[in-house]
Amino acid sequence: MSRFFYGKIALNNIKRNSKTYIPFILTCVGAVSLFYNMYFLSVAKDIGSVSDNRSLRLILRLGAVVVGIFSLIFLFYTNSFLIKQRKKEFGLFNVLGMEKKHIARVMFYETLMTGTGGIVTGVLLGILVSKLMILLLLKIVKFKATFGFEVPVEAIGATVILFGAIFILNLVYNYSQVHRTKPAELLKSPNLGEREPKTKWFATIVGVLSLGAGYYIALTTESPLVALNIFFFAVILVIIGTYCLFTAGSIAFLKMLRKNKKYYYRANHFASVSGMIYRMKQNAVGLSNICILSTAVIIMLSTTFSLYIGMEDELRNRYPRNIMVSARNVPAEKAEELNRFIGEQVESVGANQKNIVYYRYMSFIVIKSGQEYVFGNSAGYAYNNSVLFTFITQEDYNRMENAQVSLDDNEMLLYAVKGKIPGDDISFNGLKFSIREHLSSFSIYEQSSSILAQSNYAVVKDTKTIRKVYSALNGDGDMGELSYYYGFDTDAEKDTQIELVRILRQKLGNVTKDGFVEGAEHERDGFYTIYGGLFFLGIFLGLLFIMATVLIIYYKQIAEGFDDRDRFNIMQKVGMSRKEIWKSVRSQVLTVFFIPLGAAIVHLAFAFKVITRLLLIFNLTNILLYAGCTLLVVFVFAVFYTAVYSLTARTYYRIVSA
Amino acid sequence: MPLLEVKRLKKVYTTRFGGNTVQALTNVSFTVEKGEFTAIMGESGSGKTTLLNLIAAFDKPTDGEVLLNGKSIHSIREDEIAAFRRDHLGFVFQDFNLLDTFSIQDNIFLPLVLAGKSYEEMNRELAPIAKILGISDILSKFPYEVSGGQKQRAAIARALITRPEIILADEPTGALDSHATESLLKLFSEINKAGQTILMVTHSIKAACHAGRVLFIKDGELFHQLYRGSQLNAEMYQKITDTLTMIAAGGERFE
Repeated sequence: MSRFFYGKIALNNIKRNSKTYIPFILTCVGAVSLFYNMYFLSVAKDIGSVSDNRSLRLILRLGAVVVGIFSLIFLFYTNSFLIKQRKKEFGLFNVLGMEKKHIARVMFYETLMTGTGGIVTGVLLGILVSKLMILLLLKIVKFKATFGFEVPVEAIGATVILFGAIFILNLVYNYSQVHRTKPAELLKSPNLGEREPKTKWFATIVGVLSLGAGYYIALTTESPLVALNIFFFAVILVIIGTYCLFTAGSIAFLKMLRKNKKYYYRANHFASVSGMIYRMKQNAVGLSNICILSTAVIIMLSTTFSLYIGMEDELRNRYPRNIMVSARNVPAEKAEELNRFIGEQVESVGANQKNIVYYRYMSFIVIKSGQEYVFGNSAGYAYNNSVLFTFITQEDYNRMENAQVSLDDNEMLLYAVKGKIPGDDISFNGLKFSIREHLSSFSIYEQSSSILAQSNYAVVKDTKTIRKVYSALNGDGDMGELSYYYGFDTDAEKDTQIELVRILRQKLGNVTKDGFVEGAEHERDGFYTIYGGLFFLGIFLGLLFIMATVLIIYYKQIAEGFDDRDRFNIMQKVGMSRKEIWKSVRSQVLTVFFIPLGAAIVHLAFAFKVITRLLLIFNLTNILLYAGCTLLVVFVFAVFYTAVYSLTARTYYRIVSA
Repeated sequence: MPLLEVKRLKKVYTTRFGGNTVQALTNVSFTVEKGEFTAIMGESGSGKTTLLNLIAAFDKPTDGEVLLNGKSIHSIREDEIAAFRRDHLGFVFQDFNLLDTFSIQDNIFLPLVLAGKSYEEMNRELAPIAKILGISDILSKFPYEVSGGQKQRAAIARALITRPEIILADEPTGALDSHATESLLKLFSEINKAGQTILMVTHSIKAACHAGRVLFIKDGELFHQLYRGSQLNAEMYQKITDTLTMIAAGGERFE
């Protein structure tokens, strides 16, 4: 009888709070099915058919971890919001004679119902859409799907355990909340006598500084590898800045407005400014969450989307020729032999060669030290002042560019791919060259290796000159022979190209040591797997974050609705017309709503440069493509955001005018 | 011409789906002259608050009308009613209805700000009123920082600052302790002596006996009225008590 009784109360409570509980349960269902799907994909047998399935599984597993952590944080946050709203209700139970242990029992049944309901529905929904997900994923990474339907027990188990634990955690939190508070406090209306927020200048200044520092880093980082190291740090700074400015900065700003009597004592500013001060106090954290989530969603979607769209470009950037052979320590005669060898192999599979690039070279990574370039080991590669020099002989240069250049011992032609070198002289640890000409074009440069660091091509008289540079930089020691590079395009079919790469790899060892063969077609599947996998992950996490944003917005509207109802009533009684109140409330709500989106767009604008640098690491050089993708994603997101706003605003108005 | 004229006022509430109807006011008529301090008494549910809401144009009557200076207030257009209320009526509520988000001063300024007055002008208006009400030194505080009595004074200041023709007070002493009640009622008498018309709804005998006239409402009808004339508070108190006892006993009208 009594068990039945508590269960019934619990059920009634959920029904009565359906305005807040239904979205909560829906979120659980969503989070559960997203997590199930991510986990399912990472263990699904079908994924085994994908060429680089280990990397893909790694990406998916990472996705599952992110979804898991995010669900934990988010469901905990939502639950704490719900329980705060319901404190008064529990206070009433307590006053009516229910002991805290009875309330705890009611809570247990509530959690049992919402938890079981959420998890079971979520898993069922997850299983239902899992086939769709795997088809989508395989479509994105361009692999054929197999028939059949899989329901891995491992995935169900992991989902149930994770979300079961989250619900237990929430229950424990709720117990502690009820246990800690006294019934009198529980009964007290939450808004009664709420203090006006203090101006926190310290936090405001911290916010301005860390946001400024984050932006500064984002704007001044040139080298992609430095960006990779420092991006995370900048993100943290911007997050701190966002929180501080939303919580403290906004209030400081509004109070300044209030001090301006002329501005403040106007019918359309009066209520809004003072209302906003309170609204910001209650909502600042939620708003910063929305802002950060929105930024994350937009960046994730725009980067993965542009990487996926620009895949062919990236492939070409990474592999400037369809097939490329390189080898270290190759003397001139050996190079001829290698050329012949490659030609024979190409013929043996019946393919052609075009756009042939062939030369021998020696690369040095040097560090700029004053006017001097000195030796730097490759660990220094990541620093802003490390520079890559690739030396080739005038013989190779004349052959490739159809030129007749004749250089002296201490002369060079210089081509700077990125970052100009001024002046007519250049010195490598004391070895001086005069620059005969700064080349404006250079047909052989490889984009991919050049984009990461400042990179230059130097044409000098002969191998002997290159050896002198080596000695100047490295001291004694033998440089050995120059390295060899041979790349060409071909019209052959994909399969033929892959076969050719296989043969070249197999036989190259007979001709030279330290040889290396790369084929674009051979790598294409891997590219699609990785970039497609990332894109899929972007969509997936984007969806999750958007769901979270929607829920935060919805709860915010409800909480504000209850707050504003009384204020609304009073103002009406004192002589504000309905229309005036609507206008004031609407402008406040709108401002509060669109501030996070506005801030997110500002973040994006400042992050633009550093993100384009990061995309270089993924061989994406097409900045316009990224800009376009960002604009598109921002637009779609804004439309979606506005739709969510107007939908939830209805609930808000219903509460306020009740 | 009387300042306020209530004619055959009737109000029937219908539940949302039109099932049950409740007659809050059957037929109420009375007038208030300029400078009068009138109290309306009655038990809970007798229709006091409904009557006040109708006079304040918060609600529309089922039948009858309310005239202020000979003008029917229910004929005023919906979008002008707020301005009308702001300019002609002042309100004092049981639960003060001060906005948490404003300081005491800003709460008092609210109706003037809405009327588009400048800051200097508002300050000029406020100074004498704040002095009379004894709230000059709490103006910069927030409602949660002051006592109930002070809150109610602030609310009265807010009602007075627009120089309304009539102040409508709904149980103004309902949330105050006896000390605060006493000083508030004295204040009302003083304001009234200075010429301010006041209409107060209350079920506190103590509050009612400060009034110049007491109207009794029972079951939605005007049941009886008492004039103070030259009587002392104590005599008035006794008469009100007698009347209420009789209403409670369900007896016929006497006198």
